Amino acid sequence: MNADKIPVPAQPEVLLHCLMDIAEALLAVGAEVNRVEDTLTRMGTAYGAVRMNAFVITSSIVVTMTLPSGRDITQTRRILTPGGTDFTVLEALNDLSRRCCADPIPLDELRREVAQITAEAPKPLLVYLGSALAAGSCALFFGGSMTDGLVAALFGLVICRLQRHFGPQCPNRLVFNLLSALAVGISITLCAFFLPELHADKILIGDIMLLIPGLAMTNAVRDTMVGSPISGAMRLIETLLWAGALAMGFMSAFLLMGGIGL
Amino acid sequence: MIVQLLTSFTGALGFCLVFHLRRRYMFAASLGGLLTCGVYLAAASIWSGILLPTLTAAAFAALYAEFLAWFMGAPATLFLIPALLIPLVPGRPLYYAMYYAVQQDMDLSADFARQTALYALGIALGASLVWALADMRRHLKQNGFGN
Repeated sequence: MNADKIPVPAQPEVLLHCLMDIAEALLAVGAEVNRVEDTLTRMGTAYGAVRMNAFVITSSIVVTMTLPSGRDITQTRRILTPGGTDFTVLEALNDLSRRCCADPIPLDELRREVAQITAEAPKPLLVYLGSALAAGSCALFFGGSMTDGLVAALFGLVICRLQRHFGPQCPNRLVFNLLSALAVGISITLCAFFLPELHADKILIGDIMLLIPGLAMTNAVRDTMVGSPISGAMRLIETLLWAGALAMGFMSAFLLMGGIGL
Repeated sequence: MIVQLLTSFTGALGFCLVFHLRRRYMFAASLGGLLTCGVYLAAASIWSGILLPTLTAAAFAALYAEFLAWFMGAPATLFLIPALLIPLVPGRPLYYAMYYAVQQDMDLSADFARQTALYALGIALGASLVWALADMRRHLKQNGFGN
């Protein structure tokens, strides 16, 4: 839209590399595929590209930028991490891209801002607190007693610990979901065996909510319905597999505990 | 019912913390959880079954998120996810479907699996409806129609 006013940066490759960094960071914090493609296209155009061809799926980014001189530059990025959720980074990157589309900032400044935004990590204490609060609330929501809520909150802390430290060691999210559901299922069933006043089902339901890939599923549906159905379908399959692994983990836990008479 | 409303607020707040939402959006996002739960309970008292109440509540959550996104100038996802997760995501039927499958009670298991699917379908349909309309509104605006 500002193509005639904004000169293309002297090093278009560096610009595109920086845009790829933004796109990768957006995918990593839970942005919809559509939003990532849109951000790439708008920012590229704002910085003087004549045409942006952005193709994004959750595991890869491919962009070809056409410069006013007619030259095409293509860069690709393979995304290996399944991506988590960080709404602060998502919002900050979104805000940065809006500002840049309205009034492009110099490339050096853009790179500095991106590095600054992506370096901002949540405070561990607050994440633990959030997990406990969410799991406890869910257990109460589904009809658990106050004690059930407290136990679910305690296991929420355990799940948070697993997600932060055990997750990165697992080959992928599927294995992580399977193993953590198994571990949590066994521990909660044991707890309920020794403390009969607990309702294992309510506690488990509360803690399942922390493991269900809610954001990824919502994004998958959103991408399928109002974005790019191909990327959406890919993510949908992925999230269904994650949820399936979760179910398998819990079912194995029930089978094991049932087998030894608990 | 009051317990459900309260816990959907605190639960949404918990997810806001887990998802590292900025503090200035937290109250609005958590309130979304409470309101969505309220809409679900109200809709469930009008219509029986799962699909229609879930669809209505999900549509409400998406509408609330789009409104806040416009009002606060932030992506709608920030407000949608906390609002949707607790009251609507079918953790309960999913759990019982697994539980009864292991207990070899396939009829009950299938029934809960069907419920899980209905919740998921309701969320998808309700939210997509609002997303499609919001998307069309944005396109119309970009092309210079209305405001």
